[in-house]
Amino acid sequence: MRRGWGLWAAALGVYAFLYAPLLIVIVYSFNDSRLNAEWVGFTWHWYGVLLHDEDMLQAIGNSLFIAGVSSLAATVLGTMAGIAMHRYGMKVLTFMVLTPVAMPEILLGVSLLLFFIQVLNLTLGFVSIILAHITFSIGFVAVIVRARMAGIEESIFEAARDCGATPWKTFLYITFPLILPGVVSGALMAFTLSIDDFVITFFTAGVGVSTLPLRVYSMIKIAVTPEVNAVSTLLMLLTLTMIVLATRFSPEVLRGKA
Amino acid sequence: MNSKVRSFFSRARLAKLTVSGPPFVFLLLFFLLPGIIMVIASFRYPGEFGGLAPIVSATPETLHGLTLETYRFFFGDAIYARVLFKSFLVALATTLICLALAYPLALLIARSPKKRRDFMVLLVILPFASSFLIRVYAWMILLGPQAALSQALNGVLGALGMAPVHLLFSPFAVLAAMVYVHLPFMVLPLYTNLEKHDPTLLDAAQDCGANAWHRFWRVTFPLSLPGIYSGSALVFIPVLGMFAIPDILGGTGDMLVGNLIKEQFLVTRDWPFGSTLSIMLTLTVLLCVWAAAKLGSTRGHYA
Amino acid sequence: MKTLLALGLFALCAQAVADDVLHLYNWNNYISEQTVERFEQQCGCRVVQDYYSDNEEMLAKLAAGATGYDILVPTGNAMESLIRQHALRPLDKTRLPNLKNINPVYLNTPFDPGNRYSVPYAYTLTVLGYNVEKTRELGLPTDTWAIIFEPQYLEKLKGRVTVLDSQRELMAAALKYLGYSANDTDENHWEQASRMIIRAKPYWAAFNASSYIKELTVGNIWVVHGYSNDIFQAGLDAQKAGRKFHVAASIPKEGAVLSLDSMVLHKSGPRPDLALQFIDFMLEGANSAELTNLIGSGNPNQDALRFIKPEIARNQSVFPDQRQLARLEMLRDLDRNQRRVLSRIWTKIKLE
Repeated sequence: MRRGWGLWAAALGVYAFLYAPLLIVIVYSFNDSRLNAEWVGFTWHWYGVLLHDEDMLQAIGNSLFIAGVSSLAATVLGTMAGIAMHRYGMKVLTFMVLTPVAMPEILLGVSLLLFFIQVLNLTLGFVSIILAHITFSIGFVAVIVRARMAGIEESIFEAARDCGATPWKTFLYITFPLILPGVVSGALMAFTLSIDDFVITFFTAGVGVSTLPLRVYSMIKIAVTPEVNAVSTLLMLLTLTMIVLATRFSPEVLRGKA
Repeated sequence: MNSKVRSFFSRARLAKLTVSGPPFVFLLLFFLLPGIIMVIASFRYPGEFGGLAPIVSATPETLHGLTLETYRFFFGDAIYARVLFKSFLVALATTLICLALAYPLALLIARSPKKRRDFMVLLVILPFASSFLIRVYAWMILLGPQAALSQALNGVLGALGMAPVHLLFSPFAVLAAMVYVHLPFMVLPLYTNLEKHDPTLLDAAQDCGANAWHRFWRVTFPLSLPGIYSGSALVFIPVLGMFAIPDILGGTGDMLVGNLIKEQFLVTRDWPFGSTLSIMLTLTVLLCVWAAAKLGSTRGHYA
Repeated sequence: MKTLLALGLFALCAQAVADDVLHLYNWNNYISEQTVERFEQQCGCRVVQDYYSDNEEMLAKLAAGATGYDILVPTGNAMESLIRQHALRPLDKTRLPNLKNINPVYLNTPFDPGNRYSVPYAYTLTVLGYNVEKTRELGLPTDTWAIIFEPQYLEKLKGRVTVLDSQRELMAAALKYLGYSANDTDENHWEQASRMIIRAKPYWAAFNASSYIKELTVGNIWVVHGYSNDIFQAGLDAQKAGRKFHVAASIPKEGAVLSLDSMVLHKSGPRPDLALQFIDFMLEGANSAELTNLIGSGNPNQDALRFIKPEIARNQSVFPDQRQLARLEMLRDLDRNQRRVLSRIWTKIKLE
């Protein structure tokens, strides 16, 4: 229709704006040149460098481990929170669950740094990073689970109660299967968030434990080579798969955080 | 009968405790408590070698106790208020630009047939799949002095007889990256809202003789305000505290309050002052949220 | 049962293997891989390295509770801070026969009188790096800090100068140029220096921690305030890339900062014996020279001189002569109030 033209053009422009920079990163990861300036030739060289970069591989391993553990814990806690928020309202819990998501990350990072050092006297490392990641991931999982819960007919729970099911049985046989897509989706989101997190990890990682974003950051600051592009491309592939899977399981993810 | 009701109640209460307990305790420990620690830290002295001085000390001559010193230091010089204000402006600019860019996209998605909508939204979220740092790094490449954009621009400027500009390490780079990183956060709530609009309203408006612009401005826009507010909050607040983007892409003067805070904790080792700055940032965020809520409520009937 | 046994054995082995590990916390790019490998062969152990890119980062991480490092390589003022915090182990000099190789000029610094805790490792100078052809073409003086502070010179260099993004280093250069000591803590002098910096800032391209090296090599930047080994590297890179210009460094006549990095033992390190072995290893001329040959860092080891490539040994910004040494200063640590004031001044500098 005629009236759509301007709108289409503008929207496509925005899509282009969103994707062009990323495509450049991917394209230049195959560029046979140290500088990310002009296209010289196609090469797998930088991926080879990546595979031999011990520090990078270690960082990737750390990131995967941290993401795995923290997303698991965040999913459990977040699911519980999501159910509680939907079922019981609970203003205080809702506040504590949602605020870490909405507030500037640096505040969370800094306060956790203070807490770990001053109160717990904890040496920063895996434990501190994992705890930090769980804290901000709970909110994401909770929101998705809550939305999922909202989509379930209340009458089902009433019927279960009438049949004499205990709350635990109701959860196990009714609630959980119904929200499972949301839970899986939340887990995938939590995993993605953990792998990608920079700001909070920056403050709560000690020495000795490096994650992928931290490594990329130090590479960006010190010596940029297309190896960064290579690792970025691979990371994008991974998180892309995760997000597509997440939205498959639970379209609530696409509704944004309401 | 009574004991049955009682046992049922306690079972329900137990269920409530079991479900809400663990996340509650966890967040209390790792979110609320650190926040309180930070507030207290802002009232402490800096440690001799960095960190914090103890509140109580065995040796009386070491500095200890609580003080308003850091707050006096903060308010004692206009520079810090300026940094906060600057961060506020950057956040505002980013939000407005995001709004301008996101609106057409959100509108288009909302008006597309349902089958395509989810896919289009997925396309918006996917860049979010790349790490935040990668997205910032992408702009480093785009704006680099040898990249096409810079060459083209400076070519044009050169032809017009003007001095070449550095696109990278400038406020422009910071703003561009800020918008780029936060755009999806504006699109999603906006689209969620626009999707719910009743198309018959627009038909009615058209019947009343309103042209396309009027239809948008008088009908669509006001109805979309709640979406605009959610999206704005999701962009404004994180940008306010952002430090990584000015740190990587910014020039010398592009220091925002986030950079200051990071510097206090990781360079100057002045933890009390870093905490004070963080408290000030939090208060600014709360102030903005409160102001926005006030603004939103006056237009109450569309909320 | 069998699995339990296997796990137990594995744990024991892991423990045994873990014990023969030396944890080294060092600057980025501050030791040659070959040196590390040779040491690993000699001691039959493994060296695990972590890196930092400036002293502040190292101190901040240590303050944040990083433990388990046997050896650190802090610069003088950071070491001073660590000594005062009682964070270091005193050295058992009987295990360091090669200590005699060190040039006495670098021993007995005010940070560690008598070298109770530290052994000099390497040093760098914070100097001027410049594009020889460009500066000659523009008729600019390259032996003074004025080239980065005075508008009359900066006008010709607009957008082609970078300075270090370090509070202490930039302040030190400014203070030296104004004729004060780099360790001057008079707030008025600081204010004066900051005004001069703010006046020069519009001409500078950026405050850079490390990417200035590349820019110098590529020819985008013509004058830098940077570290001698970085500038040396830039010069080599430019040569290798076949650039039509040369990159050189010079110690300005007003003086500059000498950063002496020393090896120290952190008290939380699990293997001080391995650490001492490593230090003695690094005190051998041949091993010490490898770093200098690699990155062009200054070497306080006299025995190393015969192993160093002649073009580096001749380079005055890497090995300053007596006269130049007299103009160099090492930075002292500041107390907390001074740090706070400097931080505020730095914020103003960044924001103006």
